Amino acid sequence: MIKTSACRVISFAWLPGILCLAAHTALAEQQVPPGPFTETECITCHTERDPVLVKQWREGPHSTVSKTECSSCHGDSHEDSGMRARRDESCSSCHEGPASHSYSTSKHGVINRLEAGRQDWQKPLQPGYYRAPGCSYCHLHNGDHGDTMAPDRGPEVRQWICSGCHSPRYVREQFANGKRQLAIADLKLAEGESLMSSVTETQPDVLPKLRQNLIQHRENVLLGVGHQSPDYQWWHGQPALDGDLIRIRDAISESQRRKRLLGNREE
Amino acid sequence: MRYRLILLALPVIALLVVSAGFAYVHWSKGGTGTGLYSRYWSPDPVQGYWDPDNFYQSVKSVEGVFKAALCIQCHEGITPGIVADWRVSRHGQSDNPVYCNDCHGNDHQHLRLPTPEVCGNCHQKQHGEFKDEARYGFPSHVLAMERAVDAKHFVDKPKGEVQSCIQCHSVATKCDSCHTRHRFDAAEARRPEACITCHSGPPHPDDETYFGSAHGRLYLAEGDDWDWSKPLTKGNYKAPTCAYCHMDSGRHQVAHKSVWKFGLREVNPHTSKNQVLRKKWIKLCSDCHDQEQARQWLTGLDQERKQAWQKLYAAEDILKDLRNDNLLQPAAGERPPYPMDWMDRLWPRERIGFFEGQASAFYNVSAIERDYFEMWYFDNLGAYKSAAHGNQAGVESGHRKMAASLDRIETRASELYHLSETEQRAEITPEPSHEIWMKGAYTDYNRKHN
Repeated sequence: MIKTSACRVISFAWLPGILCLAAHTALAEQQVPPGPFTETECITCHTERDPVLVKQWREGPHSTVSKTECSSCHGDSHEDSGMRARRDESCSSCHEGPASHSYSTSKHGVINRLEAGRQDWQKPLQPGYYRAPGCSYCHLHNGDHGDTMAPDRGPEVRQWICSGCHSPRYVREQFANGKRQLAIADLKLAEGESLMSSVTETQPDVLPKLRQNLIQHRENVLLGVGHQSPDYQWWHGQPALDGDLIRIRDAISESQRRKRLLGNREE
Repeated sequence: MRYRLILLALPVIALLVVSAGFAYVHWSKGGTGTGLYSRYWSPDPVQGYWDPDNFYQSVKSVEGVFKAALCIQCHEGITPGIVADWRVSRHGQSDNPVYCNDCHGNDHQHLRLPTPEVCGNCHQKQHGEFKDEARYGFPSHVLAMERAVDAKHFVDKPKGEVQSCIQCHSVATKCDSCHTRHRFDAAEARRPEACITCHSGPPHPDDETYFGSAHGRLYLAEGDDWDWSKPLTKGNYKAPTCAYCHMDSGRHQVAHKSVWKFGLREVNPHTSKNQVLRKKWIKLCSDCHDQEQARQWLTGLDQERKQAWQKLYAAEDILKDLRNDNLLQPAAGERPPYPMDWMDRLWPRERIGFFEGQASAFYNVSAIERDYFEMWYFDNLGAYKSAAHGNQAGVESGHRKMAASLDRIETRASELYHLSETEQRAEITPEPSHEIWMKGAYTDYNRKHN
């Protein structure tokens, strides 16, 4: 009798645990219909399963800036949703132009493109599974749904991600050189801004366009450094900035000459 | 007697001058950098990874002498990607595997970053061909690094900045530019994408011009299904790729059939030497096409070059006239000079045209010279690459851009003449533009840190 009661107590004590386990197993094994799902359905279900992931997404640029929905990257079918989102194509359909081109011409981009057919895209975005990093490997590393390359994540996170494949010193030196390249691009930007602000009276008409060019070319250096694209660091970046400075100076010095002529006539 | 003395003295003097010249060149290469200006610069810390033979120093963080099994065991945890790459590579799959220490050494305090010489220990044929390319001059792969560091703008600019040049020019100092580590796959290097990290962008849009050609479009549509393990010889590929034509039969040289020299300067394509090279191209094209057809295509390329150089020389003439009339502003003496260029200081002169150093004249020049630089280096080379890759739309676009550049240069020149004449009539002497051109956050930094 006592034995029976004890058994009962023991079984009752385990019951919540067993129920929880059963519920979780059921959740994990539950056949998810193939979809498509609405955005609310995705968020409701995944908030329960992956609260951290949803929080990362909510705080990240895809939610706060571009209002990108889950299906934009994951597609409509639940079955291959992870695979689909890991591929570069899911990013490059929105991130066009220099952001995409600087990566696709880099060695990482080239290898990733050539390996795409052989690559097992089911694998998690972790070291050892990918021959070269695609967009998602670095920017959504280990499935982080923020941006793991965002400046506010700090250099340690980037150092750690790159060091999954490269030696720590190599990564350190590349980063340090990248910082020097960017600092130099910033000096060019500052030189251009200072030249333009020195024109106190009527500004030559071309200056606003030249300012836009300066900013774009500085951005190219950043993309070149981040994506390790020599062409964006150089031809789309540094010498292009040099050209902007030449044209800014030329516009200013010509307007000064014309001003002197005008002053002379008025006298 | 006196004549005899002079006759005797002349060869002695000549010998002394030549030896002094050699000694000077030897001395000038003995600085902290490399090349002819090595005494004027020191490398950026990252340069060791691009030019290991000259600048790489082993990491000192780990002590010990290791056997391959231990290297693999440890690096499988630290850098699993490179171990996975090596495992599936021919080095890893061979019955007699090439292990980590065969290329890197086994003392972790004295590790080696492999140079072409290290690869050449086994790949003698490829390494021999690669080194032998030097006899065809530049542009070529094997001379890329020395030509980069011997460029005046490389020496003049901050070394952190010009590391971006070195990355591509390291094709002369490492093999993994094309055979990426640690797979070192010949099949990968045969595909056109292997070339585009460096062969893209404004001065060498080989990627766009090839991918837009009939050959490139066929590759893009079907290339993923081709068997890339096959050698680059007749019948193995439905369309030619970069390597099929430029490194035919897998020969590790790109310059050996070079006639038009990248489109950088005007060449006479009909010299006896170039006739021989032309025959080699025609033979190559005839792997798939009729010889006569190939001959006509190359004649078309000659004509395209002639038209391009007519436009370029017209622009050069305008600039030279402006130079003669002292209308280029800032004048040569009012620009930040190359620090080691003492000739330029003694005799300041604007560089116009290829042989005066146009290649370095993209930053400390006037706006109209910069326009010409872009016309020559971007528009012209784009047109040339299009013509050479059989991309007619690219040729038309390149020539349209050149015509627009020439038009801009003409308009700008006539504005400069007009401005100067008006100033003369008003008896205004132009003020030197030194203030605007010689100062600035970057310009000052560059002067201190080159």
